[in-house]
Amino acid sequence: MGFSNKELLRADWQWVGLQNYVTLFKDEHFLSALGNTFVFVVGTVPITTILALGMALLVNRKFRGRGIFRAGYFFPSITSMVVIALIFQELYRRDGYVAMLATMIGLTPPEYGFLIDKSTALYSIMAMDIWMSVGYYMLIFLAGLKSIPDELYEAARMQGASFFHQLRYITIPILRPVALFIIVINSIKSFQVFVEIYVMTGGKSDTMSMVYFVYENGVTKAFQFGYASAAAIILFAIIGVFSIMQFSILKRREPIW
Amino acid sequence: MVTYWLKTLLKYVGLTAILAVMLFPLVWMIRVAFLPSSSGSVTLTSLFASSFTFENFTYLFVTGSIGRDLFNSAFVAIVVTAGNILFCFMVAYVLARQPNVWTKLLFGSVLVVLMIPAHILIVPLYSLMTSDMMPIHDTYYALILPWLVYPIGIFLVKQYIESLPTSMEEAARIDGASELRIICQVVMPLCKPVLAVLAIQVFFTNWNSLLFPLILTSSEHLRTLPVGLSHYGSDEWAPLQHKMAGATIAVIPVLILFIILQRRIVSGITAGAVKQ
Amino acid sequence: MVAIWTDPAIKPTIREMVSDFEQQNPDIKVKLTDLTWSHGHEKIVLAFASGRGPDVVELGSDWIAQFAENGQLTDISADIASDSAEYQGWSMANYNGRIMAYPWFLGTRVLFGNLDLMAKAGYDDTFVPVSWPQLLEASKKISALGPKYYGWGSNAPEKHRLYKKYLPFLWSAGGQILTDDGKLCVIASTYAIDGLTIYKMLHDSAGYVAKQRGIEDAFLDGKVGFIISGDWLLKRIEKENRKINLLSTLIPGPTLPGRSFKGGEFLAINAKSEKKEAAMKFVRFITSPEQQIKFCKANRSANPSSVKAQQDPYFASNDHIQTFIKQIRLAKHPPVDPDWVYMEGIIEQAVEDVVFNGEPVAESLRKARHEIEKQRK
Repeated sequence: MGFSNKELLRADWQWVGLQNYVTLFKDEHFLSALGNTFVFVVGTVPITTILALGMALLVNRKFRGRGIFRAGYFFPSITSMVVIALIFQELYRRDGYVAMLATMIGLTPPEYGFLIDKSTALYSIMAMDIWMSVGYYMLIFLAGLKSIPDELYEAARMQGASFFHQLRYITIPILRPVALFIIVINSIKSFQVFVEIYVMTGGKSDTMSMVYFVYENGVTKAFQFGYASAAAIILFAIIGVFSIMQFSILKRREPIW
Repeated sequence: MVTYWLKTLLKYVGLTAILAVMLFPLVWMIRVAFLPSSSGSVTLTSLFASSFTFENFTYLFVTGSIGRDLFNSAFVAIVVTAGNILFCFMVAYVLARQPNVWTKLLFGSVLVVLMIPAHILIVPLYSLMTSDMMPIHDTYYALILPWLVYPIGIFLVKQYIESLPTSMEEAARIDGASELRIICQVVMPLCKPVLAVLAIQVFFTNWNSLLFPLILTSSEHLRTLPVGLSHYGSDEWAPLQHKMAGATIAVIPVLILFIILQRRIVSGITAGAVKQ
Repeated sequence: MVAIWTDPAIKPTIREMVSDFEQQNPDIKVKLTDLTWSHGHEKIVLAFASGRGPDVVELGSDWIAQFAENGQLTDISADIASDSAEYQGWSMANYNGRIMAYPWFLGTRVLFGNLDLMAKAGYDDTFVPVSWPQLLEASKKISALGPKYYGWGSNAPEKHRLYKKYLPFLWSAGGQILTDDGKLCVIASTYAIDGLTIYKMLHDSAGYVAKQRGIEDAFLDGKVGFIISGDWLLKRIEKENRKINLLSTLIPGPTLPGRSFKGGEFLAINAKSEKKEAAMKFVRFITSPEQQIKFCKANRSANPSSVKAQQDPYFASNDHIQTFIKQIRLAKHPPVDPDWVYMEGIIEQAVEDVVFNGEPVAESLRKARHEIEKQRK
């Protein structure tokens, strides 16, 4: 469909070759969606992964009440988007708590709130995304940590390995398949970011993402199904290339760190 | 001794600080769900309000009659979760333990499906379900069939199986156990942590999904909870108190499921199970 | 099959109307499909795209042109000749000279004010802002009451909402979006510049910025002096049992009351329907004056499309509803144009750029005109 001029509500259509792609790369809305999506992926994936690993290590060891902490940390990823959106919109208002915090540490918060200012809106949504997804990846890391036999740690401890040594030589190598999963999945999900933006800004204030662009142009606003499909194919290709890169880097035998 | 206590104290302070940041919405949501809907506008400081009522819940159950919706959601989510545990595990086991050209190709295609944004699939899916080829629009099948195997589930379980040591399977094979026996009695128990994660993930995704059930069904008796709530409480001008009551009802089953399953994740591999 | 938006509060009323209809027409069966506000459009679009849309569908006025242009709606011009004078709103369903939908209930926006805040700011109870300078001055005075108070509710960037707030200012100044023949875009006229300039001044000097829901909340909490809103605000006040000393009046213009925005809900018949006659019967039934009165009472709608229905004592009983009935006579609607969804987005972007990103008024509007012309080529 990406090579046709199919419109959602019309039966007749023709092949138009690469025409859609030429138009796309001249369409400033598409280019800004492309840029925003990249910023989103590059900004959220590494931070989420590292935070999730850290949190998993924190609550992996035995201590009193760890069940509560686990459940609590996981909680944001099962909270309804409606609730999260409401709370964060309040937090990001110009007289909200985030603005107060920014003032306290000597920054000037944006005049009309974080979600309206073009220079902060996207980053605000990214921060929210990290907050809401970190618990899920923590849980997967936790499951992964359980596949490490305790004997390995005991042996290491007996040889006097420090915490960081254990992390470097036992935990991380064994977690590699799980980490690969987390990074690939999180990247794919982030490339496909839609709902967060839909509820927070509706694509306004320079926060349009690729999937938002596709959905809006194909289904909700305009019915340019062929054109939207072309944009979807580009997104698909980008995700494909990215995933292959991640696979080949993380599959290498020798540690990269 | 003093440093030990200090360290423990610091640790709990840190853990609790993170907990507070993560749990704030839950507390707020539950507080607002019990606020009278005529108590003025809801803000973050509503957390400290003093009034209390059950009227939002009565509204949803009586006017909104979401009892049926709850049943539908639970039924669909349980079937889908069971299906995913079974199918994802089966596929993932083969993909992880029998690497050859075909399984690699299959895995590749799983990843390809994963890369297609779900929102784009709604157009072809809708057309398929209303066509004569597969006329399941507006039936339970429409809510269940498309989701029986999540590609993300196959990927998750496969990566996990790959991180398991093969020693136990080999030992069982030497002992003459059949392949089915190895799968059911050796691999599956080892996979409990990841299957628990999968179950939570699938159950939650399905339980909360709004767009697809809303578009793929129309009848009132097929409404799931989110669809019902979007009719009865989540309309834009509906009081926030109703929305939060709905969200509270929606989150309880997932939270219970998590508390039950998290022990599975905790227990994991018993130390004696791996005899190198 | 009939697809209609629902609100749980009016569902019983619609059911009752349908069963009355089925009793009168035993040979016709009606199947209702509910649509939610959030994803109702997608559902309609996909149903039409699959070729199995409902026989009768409720459409917002701004969607008629796009569906008509794609050949999805039945031309009902011939059927409505006899009752055209008894209903208002035909111009919104008039696509290239053909009537594509039947008006059901209309909607417009009026200016709401908080009388207590106005009194605090030193106005006596006879004061009503009718001109821009009066509104601006009153808003400024209310803002000056203290850091908790704002004179004017200013919409944050929000799709399908922000532009509706600017258009009354554009029209009141005498401006237009397209020329009457629809050929030229005149969104950068001096009138348009005047309108956007005063809009920005209100925002800059007294604006409380939030999405529509947020500014209504603040207004009902007594923090905001004036907002522009629709009849649903009256419903909210009643439902949520709000105590507010409310003023409702016509939207101000440069010197005298100006033009407001109007839209409405329409009933259209699927072009592919095999039961057009029955569908038309149903449409006529549900839009009949008696049914409209019943519906408006249940939904607290202030603007039925039927002229006869408007004369019901129910509408005369409430001053605020009267404001809406007066206002709709002084209201305009956006062009009925399949490209309107694009134009809407472009205008909204221009308003956002001016109000929130500090770009110059004339330049932004010129850019918008340029983009609209590019789109329409």
